[in-house]
Amino acid sequence: MNQLLWKKIGLRLATLVGILFTLTILLFVLEEISGFDPAAVKVGANASPEAIQAERERMGLNDPILVRYVRYIGGVVQGDLGTSYRTVHAITDDIAMYLPASIEIVGFAFVLAVLGASFFAISSQLRWPGTSLVRGAMFVAYTTPGFLLALFGILLFYRTWKVFPASGRISDPDALNGPTGFFTIDALLAGRPDLFADVVSHLVLPGIALAAIPAVAIGRVLRSSLSQTITSDYIRTAQMKGLSEWRVLTRHVVRNSLPATLSMLGLQVGFMFSGLIVVEKVFSYPGIGLYMANALGVADFPAISGGTLVLGTIYVVSNTVVDFLQSAADPRVELA
Amino acid sequence: MSVAVLPEIAEAESPAGPLVAQLKGLVVSLERRGVRSEILHGVDLDIAKGEILGVVGQSGSGKSVLATTLLGLLPASSKPIIEGAALVGEVDMAHASEAVRRQVRREHLGAVFQNPMTSLNPTMRVGKQVAEAAWTKDAEEAITLMNRVAIPQPAERLSSFPHQLSGGLRQRVMVAMAIADNPDLIIADEPTTALDTTVQAQVLATLKGMRDTIGCSIILITHDLGVAAQVADRIAVIYSGSIVELGTSRQVLEEPQHEYTKGLLASRLTLTTKKPPSRAPKPVAEVDTTGMSAKAAQKALEQARAKLRRPIVEMVDLTCTFKVKGPAGRLVDLNALRGVTTRVYDGQSMAIVGESGSGKSTLLRAVAGLETKIGGDLIKPAQAEIQMVFQDAGASLTPWLRTESILRERLRGIGREQQDRMIAETLERVGLPQEIMHARPKEMSGGQCQRVALARATIIPPKVLLCDEPTSALDVTLAGIILNLIRDLQSELNMTVMFVTHDLAVARFVADRIAVMYLGRLVEVGPVEEVTRNPRHPYTRALLEAVPGAGIKLATVRGEAPSPVNPPTGCAYHPRCVFARPECAAGDIGTVLARVSDEQHGPLVHEVACPHYADLKPMEVVK
Repeated sequence: MNQLLWKKIGLRLATLVGILFTLTILLFVLEEISGFDPAAVKVGANASPEAIQAERERMGLNDPILVRYVRYIGGVVQGDLGTSYRTVHAITDDIAMYLPASIEIVGFAFVLAVLGASFFAISSQLRWPGTSLVRGAMFVAYTTPGFLLALFGILLFYRTWKVFPASGRISDPDALNGPTGFFTIDALLAGRPDLFADVVSHLVLPGIALAAIPAVAIGRVLRSSLSQTITSDYIRTAQMKGLSEWRVLTRHVVRNSLPATLSMLGLQVGFMFSGLIVVEKVFSYPGIGLYMANALGVADFPAISGGTLVLGTIYVVSNTVVDFLQSAADPRVELA
Repeated sequence: MSVAVLPEIAEAESPAGPLVAQLKGLVVSLERRGVRSEILHGVDLDIAKGEILGVVGQSGSGKSVLATTLLGLLPASSKPIIEGAALVGEVDMAHASEAVRRQVRREHLGAVFQNPMTSLNPTMRVGKQVAEAAWTKDAEEAITLMNRVAIPQPAERLSSFPHQLSGGLRQRVMVAMAIADNPDLIIADEPTTALDTTVQAQVLATLKGMRDTIGCSIILITHDLGVAAQVADRIAVIYSGSIVELGTSRQVLEEPQHEYTKGLLASRLTLTTKKPPSRAPKPVAEVDTTGMSAKAAQKALEQARAKLRRPIVEMVDLTCTFKVKGPAGRLVDLNALRGVTTRVYDGQSMAIVGESGSGKSTLLRAVAGLETKIGGDLIKPAQAEIQMVFQDAGASLTPWLRTESILRERLRGIGREQQDRMIAETLERVGLPQEIMHARPKEMSGGQCQRVALARATIIPPKVLLCDEPTSALDVTLAGIILNLIRDLQSELNMTVMFVTHDLAVARFVADRIAVMYLGRLVEVGPVEEVTRNPRHPYTRALLEAVPGAGIKLATVRGEAPSPVNPPTGCAYHPRCVFARPECAAGDIGTVLARVSDEQHGPLVHEVACPHYADLKPMEVVK
């Protein structure tokens, strides 16, 4: 790795810090104008105003907003995101517990989306017979709101046909205990293929709900960049060499179709993380989305802030990775 | 339109020796946007071993379809229906299976396409692409092939990506791939159209050299009869899907039989094309004073002098520097203009000539006010008095606007009725029917688009009309018509014209003066006939020698223009100059030109940058 590359990575990290800063300010302002009083919630609905006031004082809520903000940022810098009003755990502990589940579901959905996108693009490019129906179904899913799709999935595959479970990560929550927190990996490490299958079956419905829209979005970009590449002059040059169609496709077409697709991929990974809140709520899937959805209900602002910072980081990092991949795929693309 | 095949063609000279390829009654019809049309109407053609056959025709004549059919690469999406046969060896490329065609392409055919910028895979290293054409992974083989087409430092270029190479080098890479595995036949489809004249000569020489060394046949497809004449043994002229003339190059050039060939030959601009008389103000010595009283004659002379000496655009030490990404990713200076001092006089036309990278377009854009990073002095009329016409007329017109709206845009604040009158007049002046008002750029031909661009530029006559290669994307016949139109407009509307071109024959035709640029500086400026007949700078000579034509020796300039990021010391041209002396590399020769002659041309003096011009033998101008 050369110095220039490190410099560019450093620059991206600086950007990330700037974005996170902005996010925290936004969240603080939101909390301020919401007029919500966490102290009142904490001491209970029947508490006297004096008790609430005392609790406010204890929690430091009476300090000026700037003081509270600086205190919060000071904690964040030291890796302390505060304590959840709801679970009364350190937020970092909560996130450590729920994040693997979310990464697992997004990873699963990502694979589904890439497979679906490839199918969408290649089948329409090569005009495979009979696949237009599947593409049509994918398109319908694309135009349907995510939660509606999730509900359909539950009604059909869980209630009517009983093929896939519709809630949780695993049938028996105590069956697995570490070490990674990723149940698929843990099941394999424990040598339990039955548990692995169980975990995967729990991933199917929420995975599809998360992947449907990205699959079509990525697929459409991939299709148009494939068809653009295939009609380009250098593909004619490759055909001229007498290369087989497969070789032309793998050695000349694919890499040149990647850049546009990659940028859509980066956007969609971010989109999937933000879609987690709805999907995990619908499927009672214990990930960071469900954690945030629950926090939202009770105005657990420290938890919301913590979750937002984590999702924001993932979003920026995944898009940065995409930028680097893009410039690796196409030597003409300069990293900014 | 159907063209009767002349009886002469049947008797035209057949090639000697065994055939490598043969077209037999080839009829090709293709579907474009749902409309089927017959592109080739029965083409018969024999290609003998080791011959170079030029196929000449204008765009839409079917010449590229002919090539693509022979390569077996007609896209399935155009639903080709083919009758007759396109034989390569024993295989009919029109009807054989995909696998067989692929094998023929691999073993017997090579191809060089028009645009070297887009014909190489942008994400694959050059060495790998060349090796792939030779069906090997051996880098040595790639180096050997690149050596054979005279790519300098092939070992270092192996790991380059195409965008890191110049156009000429990329086209050489294409040739290297075409000759891999010693093909029997190379099909070159407009291989030099996108290249500078000097590089064109080099690539043609390389192709011809390949025929001489590996004995392959070459089909050279081109719109330029001059290019074909220079290297081809025989020429086939194709018009509207039929071959209308076929013979040896000499026959076709000297005794053309078909009217179309005669027309092609007549419309070709060369350095000897008869030029209509200039309407620019006459040099003082030429003012006709016979029959005038002494006083009147005096007055006429003074007026002529005054007019001649009135510069309308004046540049003093004009520079233009861009920041570009250097090899290490750092920003470096690209000196597009490195001190240009000259004047353009009122009512005259000046052609600016040079290779790509010479700064000629930057100079024009600076005058147009489109460049902001300029230094030095630039005196020019107000912005509204300057209009510009671009190379790609189709792209320079907003695609969703109709001609009417495009023209009205320049007429804001003028009454509707007067607008209508001006539009009608302008359309007539540029030779367009009134119905074109309702057409969008896509619905017009290239020539019509360029006329609309000219109409837009002249609907309110500007003082200065800037033209950036307005004819280089057009067919020869059309180019001539547009050039004549520009000349007519100039005199009718009393405009000054600055005309950028890479083609000296075009420059000579349109201009009163020529300014030759090299790497951001002027190297020679003078009256047209002086510069083209009595060139003083070695670079101007090289450019003149590179103008294609029959019987002209190929490839006179070495190498390609160096990068303006890091121009050579001393005279920037010295690394390529055949007359260079050791002292040419030293110091900086400055930007001041030496006056060649004291002849009275008024201000139209002949100036040259080469300090040693007086020592050069006069050039023999044969064309």
